[in-house]
Amino acid sequence: MTSETLFSLRAVNKVYDGGVHALKDISFEVHKGEFLVVIGLSGSGKSTLLRCMNALHRPTSGEICYRGRDIAAATSREAREIRQRVAMIFQHFNLVPRTTVLKNVLTGALGRTGTARSLVGMFADEERKRAMRFLDLLGIADKARHRADQLSGGQQQRVAIARALTQEPEVLLADEPVASLDPATCHTIMDYLQKVNRELGITIVCNLHFLSLVRQYASRVVALRAGELVFDGQPADIDEAWFRRIYGEEAKEVHVN
Amino acid sequence: MSTDGGRGGLAKGVVFDAILLAYLLVLATVAAYGPSPEQMLMLGRNSFVGLILLAASATAALALRRAGVATVGSVVFEKGAAPKSGELRPWYRSFWAWQLLLVLGATFYVGARETEMSLYELTDEAGFRGATNLFRGIFSPNFAILPKAVLAIIETVYIAFMATLIAVPVAFVLSFTAAKNIMSRHPATFAFYVALRTALNVSRSVEPLIWAIIFSVWVGIGPFAGMLALMIHSIASLAKQYSEIVECVEDGPIEGIQSTGASFIQTIWFAIVPQIVLPYISFTIYRWDINVRMATVIGMVGGGGIGTILYQYQGQAMWPEVGCLVVVIAAVVWLMDTASAYIREAIK
Repeated sequence: MTSETLFSLRAVNKVYDGGVHALKDISFEVHKGEFLVVIGLSGSGKSTLLRCMNALHRPTSGEICYRGRDIAAATSREAREIRQRVAMIFQHFNLVPRTTVLKNVLTGALGRTGTARSLVGMFADEERKRAMRFLDLLGIADKARHRADQLSGGQQQRVAIARALTQEPEVLLADEPVASLDPATCHTIMDYLQKVNRELGITIVCNLHFLSLVRQYASRVVALRAGELVFDGQPADIDEAWFRRIYGEEAKEVHVN
Repeated sequence: MSTDGGRGGLAKGVVFDAILLAYLLVLATVAAYGPSPEQMLMLGRNSFVGLILLAASATAALALRRAGVATVGSVVFEKGAAPKSGELRPWYRSFWAWQLLLVLGATFYVGARETEMSLYELTDEAGFRGATNLFRGIFSPNFAILPKAVLAIIETVYIAFMATLIAVPVAFVLSFTAAKNIMSRHPATFAFYVALRTALNVSRSVEPLIWAIIFSVWVGIGPFAGMLALMIHSIASLAKQYSEIVECVEDGPIEGIQSTGASFIQTIWFAIVPQIVLPYISFTIYRWDINVRMATVIGMVGGGGIGTILYQYQGQAMWPEVGCLVVVIAAVVWLMDTASAYIREAIK
């Protein structure tokens, strides 16, 4: 791929306080406009990897450069600036309960709103318009006044995507975005991510369990096994042999229809 | 004998048995020796004797443990010990049951003497007449002083209200710095957390009654002293209750807000506050309710409001007037109690 490099990871290691070695010498690059999918078993380090790319976690060693700036060495102010450009959505949506959908989406603008202004709820009018535009894009503008915790799982994930888009990000990290949703809703969410990728040109790095989804949506795949990078290539290249190597000898592929 | 409780349970059991034994030995020594009041006050010598008895008890407790006797300590602290011995023999043939009975019996006997329990006093004719007199007065309240009583209880309700109102914002800010999940990220903030927790615990363990005495010397007897006393106690209690709510919030929303690039303050405001605001309100209303009741008592030591005049009438044995005050206090406390229960139920 010839387009510009957004992320470049070099020999990234992450060892948790408990001694778990979650990432081992991970090196790869993320290019602009990609729909990169990270696969691997639960506990293979996928979530840790994404959290390191969003500066929620610090790698123990190695370099994670976003547009040439090392996230691992960033101050907390720099980390916050990077997070604004590198949005994230989560398996359990991580919306704020007892708060309206619109207010949840507006929190995407916190990074560029002053602390004092945000505390009294003085978001600029253009921010509100922007938030409503993204809710509209995700087909849930009619839910703007509802409490976020009263929506279904699929709707909550769409709110989370709208919150991420409100950040006006360049990259969207998605940590198992469909793992707690039913198969039908699963495709809706993946279609929206594809739309975000194609229509808004936002680069996507997405953790997934199901290989069938990977083949359908990914433009490139990397695979982790026990914290190590074992595959980096095209989704079509993952044949039976690779599948066993990534998921273990006992594994059988499950399809989501 | 099973040792399922692990080493911690074992050590605790032995210490517990040693304390129980030492307690019995001290009581027995006092009973056998019969020291004079002057001798009872000789702190140095008495603690020396106490330590010797404690050492003897510890040795005995260890010996019992080695012999595998099911003592109270082993039954309480070592899981699995009780059912096993219970299956083998009836309770009246087990060591721990008699150990427990002996401790309870001795405690009841000493307690009866310490509290000067006396059936004679309770049934004494003159004393009984006095009580009848008092009840007769209280049950025929003198409603002539009703306006005075109502004005006084309004003062009491406002004392409670002001104490709560001033305490809420202070406790709100303190609650985040007293929450472990927020403060344990950095050694410096954790040290602050420990210091604050200790300060809150200390000020909470000093009863509002004592705060009222302190403040009535400081700012003079009256409602201001009572309000300050309740405020200090409310800050400490609310900060603790609030911080426990903060410690129970979900982490997901915090991570979600952090991932947008929000600052620390923004994360607290947008991820934590929405999760805690309703329980906060519920605790606050309950605190006001408690404060109204406490303000009455505090008035009796110079904190103003209805407690102060209750104390005056009581001192002059004006029982019908006391009866009127009791009616007013009961009515207001019942009203506050019911209202606060309804509101807390509604916002759950």
